[in-house]
Parts: sequence; C-alpha cells; structure tokens
Amino acid sequence: MTRHFVTVALLWAALTAGGEALAFLNMFPTVGSKEAEDFDQIFRTLLFMGIPVFTFVIAVLAYAMLAFRSRTGDETGPNIRGTGMAPKIWLAVTSGLAVLTMIYPGLTGLANLQGDRNGYAWGTATPELTIQVRGARWYWAFVYPDGIQLALATDKQAELVLPVDTVIKFEINSDDVVHSFWISAFRMKIDAIPGRTTSMIVQPTEIGDYLQDDAYRVQCAELCGLDHSLMRFPVKVVSKADYAKWEASQPKQSGGK
Amino acid sequence: MRAATTVGGALGTALIGFYIGVGLTAVMRQVFGYDYFERDLSVTIGYVFGVIGWLMGIGMWGAWGREWFGLKTYGQGAKGWQRYFSFNTDHKVIGIQYMVTFAIVFLLAGLLAMLIRAELATSGLQFFTRSQYNSVMSLHGILMISVAVAMVVGGLGNYCIPLLIGADDMAFPRLNALTYWLVPPTAFMLLATPFMGGLEAGWTSYPPLSVLTETAQTFFNLAIITFGLVSILGGLNFVVTIMFMRAPGMTWGRLPMFVWAMFVTAWLAMLYTQGFFVALLMVTLDRLAGLSFFNAAEGGDPLLYQHVFWFYSHPAVYIMVLPGLGIALEVIGHFSRRPMFAYRYAVGAFVGILGLSGVVWAHHMFTSGIPNYFHAPFLVMTEMISIPTGLIFLAALGTIWQGKLWLRTPMLFALAVIFNFACGGVTGIFLADVPTDIHLQDTYFVVAHFHYTIVGGEIFALFAGIYYWFPKMTGRMYNEKLAKLHFWWMFIGFNVTFFTMHWPGIQGMNRRVADFPASLNAVNLFVSISAFFLGASFLVFVYNMLNSWIRGPVAEANPWGARTLEWQTSSPPPLENFDSPPTVVGHPYDYGVPGSQHSTFGGLGAAPAGGGGGAGGGGGGG
Repeated sequence: MTRHFVTVALLWAALTAGGEALAFLNMFPTVGSKEAEDFDQIFRTLLFMGIPVFTFVIAVLAYAMLAFRSRTGDETGPNIRGTGMAPKIWLAVTSGLAVLTMIYPGLTGLANLQGDRNGYAWGTATPELTIQVRGARWYWAFVYPDGIQLALATDKQAELVLPVDTVIKFEINSDDVVHSFWISAFRMKIDAIPGRTTSMIVQPTEIGDYLQDDAYRVQCAELCGLDHSLMRFPVKVVSKADYAKWEASQPKQSGGK
Repeated sequence: MRAATTVGGALGTALIGFYIGVGLTAVMRQVFGYDYFERDLSVTIGYVFGVIGWLMGIGMWGAWGREWFGLKTYGQGAKGWQRYFSFNTDHKVIGIQYMVTFAIVFLLAGLLAMLIRAELATSGLQFFTRSQYNSVMSLHGILMISVAVAMVVGGLGNYCIPLLIGADDMAFPRLNALTYWLVPPTAFMLLATPFMGGLEAGWTSYPPLSVLTETAQTFFNLAIITFGLVSILGGLNFVVTIMFMRAPGMTWGRLPMFVWAMFVTAWLAMLYTQGFFVALLMVTLDRLAGLSFFNAAEGGDPLLYQHVFWFYSHPAVYIMVLPGLGIALEVIGHFSRRPMFAYRYAVGAFVGILGLSGVVWAHHMFTSGIPNYFHAPFLVMTEMISIPTGLIFLAALGTIWQGKLWLRTPMLFALAVIFNFACGGVTGIFLADVPTDIHLQDTYFVVAHFHYTIVGGEIFALFAGIYYWFPKMTGRMYNEKLAKLHFWWMFIGFNVTFFTMHWPGIQGMNRRVADFPASLNAVNLFVSISAFFLGASFLVFVYNMLNSWIRGPVAEANPWGARTLEWQTSSPPPLENFDSPPTVVGHPYDYGVPGSQHSTFGGLGAAPAGGGGGAGGGGGGG
C-alpha cells in the first residue's frame, strides 16, 4: 500500500522534473514589445503550474497499468468507494489550484490589459501615436495622425512602419467582414468588426523587419474568405530617428481619413 | 395503397416535394415579375418540401402520419438487413443506423483532413486553389462536428441507453426514427456544397462573411438547421427515456456512468442546440430575405451572431465530450474490477458541468471586441469548469488505483481518454486565460487543443465504446490483436501529430490558412507526416470491424463478465431487449463485494405488468 504511493510519488516527481524543463525552452517567436514580454512570462507561469497536473495523471495511469494489471478478468480489487476524506481533499486542492490560476496569472494579467470598463480595447498606457486601421477584403488601410496614408494589399509592395519605444494605439474597424489584426512579435490581436471600433495598444521594444523575421507581420487571424491566407503583410519597426525620416518622406493628405 | 418505404421510393417523394417547393416559388416570383428561379431562395423552399416528402416516403406516413387522419398505420414490414433502410422504431436498429452512417462520414471527413495536411505539408499552394482549400477545411470542420455530436449520442446512446436502464425501447420510438431519417438530408446538403460553389466561412460561419458570400452557404445553413432538429428532438427523447423508463430499482444512485453522462448531454442538446439553429436561421434570413440582423450599416451587429452561436457551440463541446467521459468511466468501472471510486462526486461533476457550460461561451470571443468588463467573469467561469472536470479524473484514477486492470482494447482506449483529456485540459487553461489567449486565439494552438479534447476525449472514447459493445451489437467478437494494433497506432499517431501542433500555434501560425510563412515549413512537414501515419491507423479499424462483423467468432452474452443490464441478455438482444423484465437491486460497479448483485430477472420485485407499452416504471427519485 505505502509502497505503491511512494513509487508513484517518485515517478510523478521524476516526470515533473523532466516536464518542467519544457517551461524553460524558448518556444516563442521574437519578443518585439512589452506585451510580448508579459505574454511569454504568463505563458511560462501557466506551463509551470500545468505540467505537474498533467504528469500526475500520467504517473498514476502508467503505474496502475504496470502494477495493477490482471491477465484475466477473474480477479477483483478491494472495496474502496471513496466516500471518506480523499475526495474532499481532492476537491479542496483542485479548487484551490483553480482559484489560484484565476487570480494569478489570470485576473492580475487581465487587469494590466484593460483600462476603460466599457471599451473594446487592449492596453492601458497613454498612446503617443494613434493609427487608424481599416480592414477590408483583402487589405489593410492605415491613416497616421498627420495624414499619411498607407495600404497593405496583396498586390502592393508596402510595409507598416512603426517607431520603436513608442506607445502606439491602433484603432481598428472593418469595411466588410470580420478580420483580425494580429502582429505576433507583439503577441497582440483584436478583431476588426464592421460597425464598432476596437483598439489595442502596443509598445514595441525592439527594432525589427519582416525581411529578417516573419514574426514582424500583420496577419489576419479571422477567416475572411477567399484571400484570407494572403492577408499577411510586412511590419518594420524602426528607430525614432528613422521613423521621423520616413514620416517626412511620405506624402500627406490633410484631413485624410 | 402502400406508401413507399424504400430509400428509392423516398427519393422519389423527396424530389416531388422539392419540385412543389421550387414550383410554388416560381409562381409567386412570376406574379411579381421576377425570374422564375433564384438559386438560394428556390432551393430553400424546395428543400423544406423535399424533406417533408422524404420523411413521408421513407415510412413516416405509413407508420405515423396516417393516424393523424384517422387511418390505420402499417406495421414495420422490413425484416433482416432491410430494416436498416426503412423507418424502423427499434432503438437497436436506429443505433446501428447512426453508427454506420457516421462512421462513413467520419472516414470521409478524415480523408479531407489528409488533403488538408497534404496542402499544408509545405508553404505555398500545392494542389488546391485558395477557394478549394476553404471548402475542404470548412467541410472537414462541419462533418467532424456532426460526427462528434451524433455518433456517440445517436449511435451508442440509442443502442445502449434503453438496455442499460432496463427499458424495452426509447420513450418515443417514432420520434427516434424521425431524428435518424433527418440525417440523410443533412448529409446530402453538406456533401452537395463542393458542387454548388463550395464554402468559405468555416463551420463557424461568422457573418458578415456568411451573409455576403456567394458560395453554397445556404446549403450549409439548411443542413445545420435540419441537424439542429435531430439534436433537439434526440435530446428530448433521451431526457424522457432516462427519467421515466428506468427498470424498477434503477434509482438515480444506481445509474451506470454512461447513462448519467447521456442524461446531462441530452439536457445540453435539448436546451442549447436552439442557439445554433437560430443563429443560422438568422444568417439565412439575412441572405434570402434581406433582413439585417448582422448588417452594421442597417443597425445590425455582427457580434450578435457570435454570442448566439457560441451560446450553443460551447455547450456543444460538452455534448461531444461528456458522453465520451461517460464511456471512459463506464469502461474503467467494469475493467478495473472493483467498486467505482467517488461515484457520487463523478455524478456531481457531470451535473456541475451541465450548469457551468452555459455560462462560459464568451471565452471564444476574448479577441472579438466584446466590452472589457465581459472578460473577467468569463475567465473565472471557464477556469471554474476545471473543478468538476477534476472530479471526473478523481473517479477514473481512484478506480484504477489498486484495481485489477484487465487491459483489453476498450480499457486501453478508456485510459487513453484520461491521458488525452488531461493534456487537453491543461492547454485549455492557456486559452481560458485572457492574457495568453490574445496571442493564441485563432492559431494552431487552438487547433491542437480542441483536437486533444474532442478527438482525444471523445473519439477515443467512441472507439472504447465500439470495441466494448461490438459483441453486443453484432453478436460477434472483434479480433483483439488487430484492435490493440489499432489502439497503439492511433494513440501514438494522434499524440505525435497534435502535441507537435501546439508549436506552430505559439510561433504564430494561424488557423484556416492555405499558406504560411516558410519558416514554419519543417514543423508542418513533420505534422503532415504524422497525420498520414495517424490516418492509416483507421484502415486497421475498418478491416477489423468489417471482417469481424461478417466472420468473427460468435460472441457470448457477456464476454466481459460485466454487471450492467445490457450484458444480461443475449448478443444481440431480442426485439424487446429482455426475455423477462429486469429488476435492479444493487450498484452496477460493485465487483468483488460479497453478495452484491446489480439485477435480477423474472418476477423478483414488482415488475409492472406488460412492461411493454407505456411507463416502464421508474425507481424512486433522489
């Protein structure tokens, strides 16, 4: 009896030790923003908490299959019905784990992402640069504050240029169907929906270019029909000085919306 | 004058109905000066009349409809194999009709998955156009959803539930036959879509795309509305059957786990399927009648659809998984050869999931632009589901602990369910947690996660159930060696394929794309090869099933030495299930408890007279 418990506990410990190594693997795409750092950290935390749960199930299953195996269906096991303390302890432990996960990293992480109670928005920082984004089949159109207009479409060579170390807010809507505005280097996405404006705030921390690293891309993440797969466009995060140069070189349309 | 009761005859009456509908539409349109034929509208009206014609032709008129007009109904004429092609009210026939139909759909949809993986083996377009890819992907999705919803519930549920509770049939046998015969029109409409312009909105069919698209979306909508009826009416039938048809002594505390799981599932199907039904009805009305439920320019809201849709489609996940977990516990209960651990907690878990599953739908919409205040409650509710789910793990692990595990194929599949569902449960936390979900939403991480829960949790349980009840259904034994080969092949193939699939998801590969950045080539090639390996395992299964059904050794009544009622009658059971009415006197899983018995037959206890017609008499409540 005790022997079984000890062996399975050792097996669990060994599996957990091996499994937790996974949490230290670098499995993420390029970290390009403050939000990406937060995501990676929360993901690791959850992995760290989740692996012992999974390895517990594996340990008990594997051990039982070896130790409690019977060649025929003729033998029977002990009459233990689980009406005592064991299920109550289990319930308390699993409930405790669930509540813990809800609060940290769940609700605490969420609180960092939400400002206005009624908004449709990710991010709480005060934006230094606000870019209007319009999704349509199958392109994105951008309007920068000083009237610079930019379109990313399947038949154009263009890239979304963003300054590093700047709080950028994207205000997003859609002309036709639901799209989703996603830049995986920033780990941020939100849907573009006809009839309402959603927004997300990102703070790029690294200079990067789609040509070197495809995590720097605007990817449509909501099925939008025929050319959904092609709604994948380059992003270039540049230094503030380069951004100013780029800004100056662009034609401006006053009152362009 | 005998109504047509063959499939051929029913096709004729269906066509007549279809042309009546198309004709009526043409006349009305002509009166107002429009073209005779407008594809989506004409097909829709034609379909409604066509389905009525089909049902009447297949035998509903003769077996049921005639009495609405005071005429005498016909008995069920067909015997032998022809029963399976007629309006037959025997739950065992209907169970096998569901099983075989959806086994074919499963293999077909699996083939589509192979095509998807072939396309995704490397970046760029291999042999599909983008529109073909969208069609194949959408069709794979909806066909597999239909298999997941209907194969366990309609197939194993129909066959086994009356047997497990000691009833002679379902509560509403004719309604039962009706639900099955609504399946062929559903399948026909879905399989027609590739020839009518394909699909491009996925099985979720979010508007405005599903309203604006010029593909065969209307065919899809009609199929799903019909299929919704199947699910709602089927759910109603199971709820009534389990409440009122239990054998004397079969109290709620003595119900086998699969029955409990099916009871909860039936409530879910009956209550929530209406969401899907209504969502697609609204899409259809937007498309055909120019209404603007989802047209923002005219005051509609595209997000309305997502709420209504997920209000069904999240509980639908439990419609799929709960019967799977029920089968897993059922099989583990019998093959561990000791009393079930924490039975009451497991029952409480099923009921708890029934309660919680209706209040978690918005976790599918965390990045949809729902108001900020909506996220926190759904994060909390969703993670709360892990508590009742944990109790199911407690019952499973507690029961195998110190049991005498008889590792036959059904048991292996049942244990695999526990393994897979643990993995699916852990990855679910990442998606319930808003901060991680923002990045992972709509990526292959989600694809991996739901394949772990649905395939790993339900389809593995489906195979556990098929192998477990195969001797009961067919009267023959399957080949154990081939079955074990199938198990290990599928288990390894499945885990290698879908565990790996989390990786491209984290790396930023989104769902439903025919093409992806070249940096993900290696991992996708690996996933594709493992998927082909997984796909090949089903050939072993199909061969084993067909071969054993035709020439397998004759099975005894109770090859597993199991205690529940279905094993106390012949294999396959007679028309009325039991030669003498059963009385339940004990718990189903009390293996090795001295003097314990689950049931007695023939007269002990107060079996209600007749036992056939109406109420089979239920055990006490509570």
